[in-house]
Amino acid sequence: MKKECIAMLLAGGQGSRLHALTSRSAKPIMPFGGKYRIIDFPLSNCANSGLDVVGVLTQYQPLQLNSYIGSGQPWDLDVQRGGVYILPPFQSAGEKGEWFSGTANAIFQNIGFVDMWEPEYVLILSGDHIYKMDYSDMLEQHKQHEADCTIAVIRVPLDEASRFGIMDTDENGFVYKFTEKPKKPESDLASMGIYIFTWKKLKKYLIEDEKNPESQKDFGKNIIPSMLGNEEKLWAYDFSGYWRDVGTINSLWESNMDMFSPELFDLYDRSWPIRSRSPIKPPHYIGENATISHSIITEGCDIRGTVTNSVLSNSVSVGDDAIVNCSILMPGCSIGNGAVIEYSIIGENAEIRTNAHVGAAPDDFNNIKIATCGPSSVVYANAQVEAGEIVYTKKGEE
Amino acid sequence: MPDLHGLIYAYHSSSALGELVVPRTSASLPFCSRYRLIDFALSSMANAGIRDVGVIMQRDYQSLLDHLGSGKDWDLSRLSGGLCLLPPFGMHDSHFGEYNGCMEALSAVRTYINNIKQSHVVIFRSDLAVNLDLHEIFDSHLASGCDITAVCADCSLKGGSSKIRFVPDTPNTSKQMLFSGLGQKEALSSIEVYIIRKSLLVELIEWSRTNGKQHFHRDALAHYLDEGGTVGLYFHKGYTAHITSVSDYYSANMDMLNQGYRRDLFFDDRPIYTRGRSSVSTYYGDNASAKNSLVADGCYIEGELQNCVLFRGVRVKKGAKLTNCVIMQDSVIGENAVLNHVIADKYTAFSDGLVLSGSSVLPITVPKCKTV
Repeated sequence: MKKECIAMLLAGGQGSRLHALTSRSAKPIMPFGGKYRIIDFPLSNCANSGLDVVGVLTQYQPLQLNSYIGSGQPWDLDVQRGGVYILPPFQSAGEKGEWFSGTANAIFQNIGFVDMWEPEYVLILSGDHIYKMDYSDMLEQHKQHEADCTIAVIRVPLDEASRFGIMDTDENGFVYKFTEKPKKPESDLASMGIYIFTWKKLKKYLIEDEKNPESQKDFGKNIIPSMLGNEEKLWAYDFSGYWRDVGTINSLWESNMDMFSPELFDLYDRSWPIRSRSPIKPPHYIGENATISHSIITEGCDIRGTVTNSVLSNSVSVGDDAIVNCSILMPGCSIGNGAVIEYSIIGENAEIRTNAHVGAAPDDFNNIKIATCGPSSVVYANAQVEAGEIVYTKKGEE
Repeated sequence: MPDLHGLIYAYHSSSALGELVVPRTSASLPFCSRYRLIDFALSSMANAGIRDVGVIMQRDYQSLLDHLGSGKDWDLSRLSGGLCLLPPFGMHDSHFGEYNGCMEALSAVRTYINNIKQSHVVIFRSDLAVNLDLHEIFDSHLASGCDITAVCADCSLKGGSSKIRFVPDTPNTSKQMLFSGLGQKEALSSIEVYIIRKSLLVELIEWSRTNGKQHFHRDALAHYLDEGGTVGLYFHKGYTAHITSVSDYYSANMDMLNQGYRRDLFFDDRPIYTRGRSSVSTYYGDNASAKNSLVADGCYIEGELQNCVLFRGVRVKKGAKLTNCVIMQDSVIGENAVLNHVIADKYTAFSDGLVLSGSSVLPITVPKCKTV
């Protein structure tokens, strides 16, 4: 079946800088913004952009991710002539089979899948960014400039540029230089990790790169530089909306907090809906003595205490006289009576018991330290978790 | 999979529901922030593993069709069987106009009933808020050896309770039916959910047709008891509300603010499924306040709520104060508006500064899409 363009979503990464939260599930299904998982953003963007074939490349802890995506129905991607396909590493006849050793290798191993759709173009996405983008507009520019590869770019503060793949463009907007995580960045144009390739070209480069034993088999480190080296046409697609890489505890916390500012990122805009798989839960209940302001609350929650400046996913319970401030509470976690949670991220199904105290307001707002409690961890009654501390399984005494 | 088929009456709405049933039947009446009443019947069936369900509808069913879709939200979209919608269809002896009684409705869909594969059928009203364990009720039905089992509950505290009662002769069976709520204190109130052997159901439909009878209790069931039949009784302990008037509707929604009642209806073992909408979470603004309220996803709240039930996508603007209100989907409450004891149907709008106050016995109902 022929499609003009298909999407390949790289969702196999471990998210090692978020290790306290991703020990049991992949980063792309990290809860975000109350109702969502991170992967809802690229999946919804695909659906809203009219792309109906999405290959999701999985590797690290795929069980929850697979069941979350299911048939793709929540994103309207359960269509007859297309759909969402989970693509784990696999074995072929007569071969040993191997893990995906890099982003480019993951696509290389799935050349067969891409070819099935005979696409002109392939969109490469990653599963750890929060943004809304109309990929069809990017594709339009790719075609218009007859590019071989189009890279979405965003301007970042120069002092942060060394975290990104940075590129320099000529006066026409074509890329002439690309450096992955440069020590001394010369430009503020950062790659968003979103690429459109003309498939024939990409396929050629993937096959060549695979033959190079020195290659790390990575788009940013290998494929893009060799395309530049061969003077292929690389177009930079200028993106100016909200975009965050939520790869660290602090960026995850900050980006969740951004969800309060519709002028930054408007989840309530119905013209570009972000969809998610909903758990089957009753409406949330706010108790007689609860206080609640400047917060996001999701179905299934039961709030008896005080919640301010916080993001609560589904089925969170907050006990009597508990205080939750500037924190992110993931699905199913429970906060006991009288407990205090400040500047913290509480993982799925974690239990914070009576009068425990997690996190603290920072002394210096340029150096916010977020306390983290991992999924299913327990903080026992009256225990104290310091600012910036990580609780993996338990803290305090029973 | 139980040898049990589901049948839901969704053709009738009590006229005492007034404006609430102008755009719909009571089956698709919105309830408790995100549900429709028929969700209780469908979910009870789905949770018991029932795969085949027929919904008898007659008129004003556009809203119901929209809600049910293919039935996939209740896992009832199946290759064979699954959800089957039964609107009236022309048969040579069919007449037009509202079904006069349940037997007439069953008779109108008798070809469907004759083709039911299962040996037993559960008949469910669609104006009930109840979470029934139909698996256990079916076991009790089979164990009793009766051809029909009535589900009973203590409806004495809830408005709109059925007048049909059964006088037990043993703890689990009855040979006597009463048609009023008076006398015989030991009698159990029927919630008008029955499990009936299919062959008996077919027989009663034929008998009603030959004898020109239309009603289930007054005619068919009375006939069955007259002939010496026995009705099995199953007593359901959890919350049960029959919603047949505006006041029932209002008080049942307010009941949901009670944790005990809420937990009778909503718990993880037997969830109540509904049509998904995929909205965002609810946002509470800087000056928002909420006490003792149930709020669905997708709301944007900048005002104050007390004792309220809010459906999906409701917007409460700055300074607005809502007390004891039921506000349905996508309604907008203007700045500084003050509403007390108001039931606002879907897509209503209240202008800035408006003051509207009903009372608990007479809540004000604002019809769908109305701007006040």
